[in-house]
Amino acid sequence: MSETTTIVCVVCPVSCAVQVEFEGNGIIRTDHNQCKLALEYVNDELFDPRRTLTTSLAVDGGAKPLVSVKTDHGIPKHRVMEAMQSLSGLHVQAPVHIGDVIVPNLIGTGADLVATRNVAAA
Amino acid sequence: MIKMRSADVAVIGGGPAGMAAAAAAKEAGAGSVILIERDEELGGVLNQCIHDGFGTKVFKEALTGPEYAAIYADKVRDAEVETRLEATVLELTEDRVLTVLSEEGMETIEAGAVVLAMGCRERPRGAIGIPGSRPAGVYTAGAVQNYMNLRNLAVGRRVVILGSGDIGLIMARRLTLEGAEVACVAEILPYPSGLARNVVQCLEDFNIPLFLNTTVAEIHGAKRVEGVTLASVSGMDVIPGTERFVPCDTLMLSVGLIPENELSRQANVSIDRVTAGPVVDDAFQTSNPGVFACGNVLQVHDIVDYATMEAEIAGRSAAAYVADGTLPEAEIQIKVGDGLRYVLPSHVSGLDAVNFTMRVTKPDQNRAIVFSSGGKVLRRLKQQALSPASMARVRLGKARFSDTREILVEVGD
Repeated sequence: MSETTTIVCVVCPVSCAVQVEFEGNGIIRTDHNQCKLALEYVNDELFDPRRTLTTSLAVDGGAKPLVSVKTDHGIPKHRVMEAMQSLSGLHVQAPVHIGDVIVPNLIGTGADLVATRNVAAA
Repeated sequence: MIKMRSADVAVIGGGPAGMAAAAAAKEAGAGSVILIERDEELGGVLNQCIHDGFGTKVFKEALTGPEYAAIYADKVRDAEVETRLEATVLELTEDRVLTVLSEEGMETIEAGAVVLAMGCRERPRGAIGIPGSRPAGVYTAGAVQNYMNLRNLAVGRRVVILGSGDIGLIMARRLTLEGAEVACVAEILPYPSGLARNVVQCLEDFNIPLFLNTTVAEIHGAKRVEGVTLASVSGMDVIPGTERFVPCDTLMLSVGLIPENELSRQANVSIDRVTAGPVVDDAFQTSNPGVFACGNVLQVHDIVDYATMEAEIAGRSAAAYVADGTLPEAEIQIKVGDGLRYVLPSHVSGLDAVNFTMRVTKPDQNRAIVFSSGGKVLRRLKQQALSPASMARVRLGKARFSDTREILVEVGD
């Protein structure tokens, strides 16, 4: 017996209200999504909700006090605060470049924490 | 002595729109393009928007703000645009002479064409008239974003947010992640002003309550905010007896953006009453020929990709204006019909396809955006959901403009 629900895709600001029909642990059909990035999000949201974590970390010896970072893919939604706790007090040494891996395999999620901003050495 | 010089195209503002316009103008053949930015680096508000979701239309992936900005800063450099940082345009005349102030002193630039890309400012407390005392601890959301994401400064421990604009919602999550407590978000309207995406991932994910039809009736505290009085509203009026005190040390405002058009007015550019931005045609040319506008100074965008796309057209148009001395007349008038606050551009040449952008007056479902001319429907685009929070964008092909002088755009069935 399939079920139908609506999930707001959060991948980008378009906020597609995706209609999804699913059964067991598989999606049968989706509608009202503008692009295919929604498909992976909707699937995860139903069976394994994930979020990309973005935050900033202190930089030592840099031209700027902070470097922004993100997980290179989604981590389980219920582990987001735990991930933030693990980063508390962490400092990064300048220079930092976009894409540099700052923390590999963040709290064992398989996702790497990478820099999203260039910070030159002071 | 004031230095004098000239440039084919001068772009004012080095945010997402200005960067894209400058690179596009140079790539379209403009000889000299100068990009003027008052901050110490290019990128504008993107630098403090460390969250992701930028670029899904242009790059088909979700980037963070700084990553998106870096791509266009590289484009500007590769196109050999002359970039002037920490430089402020003090004056812009009707015949396109800029007065620029920087550490190098004052200089004037005579520009063959000007692209306005100054962006927005946030609506402050003074603009919405909240009663109460004047303590420290009242911030706009963008200011909090700048302090937290660029300067490593915390603003408070327990925060009430007034207004459900996107930056406010994004900062509700950011404050929560960094250990502050967000007591609630109060929105005076019966629906959120931010995107559905942000209500879901910034409030619902963290169980932050959103109170609709609710406003801040009073701010309490002498030196520092000690709390606010929330009250339910009917329309814009407080319903007596619904007031309740919420303790907090910070009130954060996310109550709208105001396009920064002081320079546009100096240049005698007509400003639209609804968008508060310049009136433009499909080349993004303003009422003053040779002056173009794009990005948030033109209309407030919710998606940076669309600001980039319109800025690239504005930049190419500026290059074409410099090369040809004029642009094709835009004589087809666009009329705003039922259900819409505005439609942009307001007049078009009909020589190319046009991506019209617009906002609806109220939330609605299963309606259509209808383009018609003389009663004949040119295009009907079904919309599953319409919201004032989401800019609608509809493309009309070149063939639709033949034999027409006026096009009506409305929300219909």
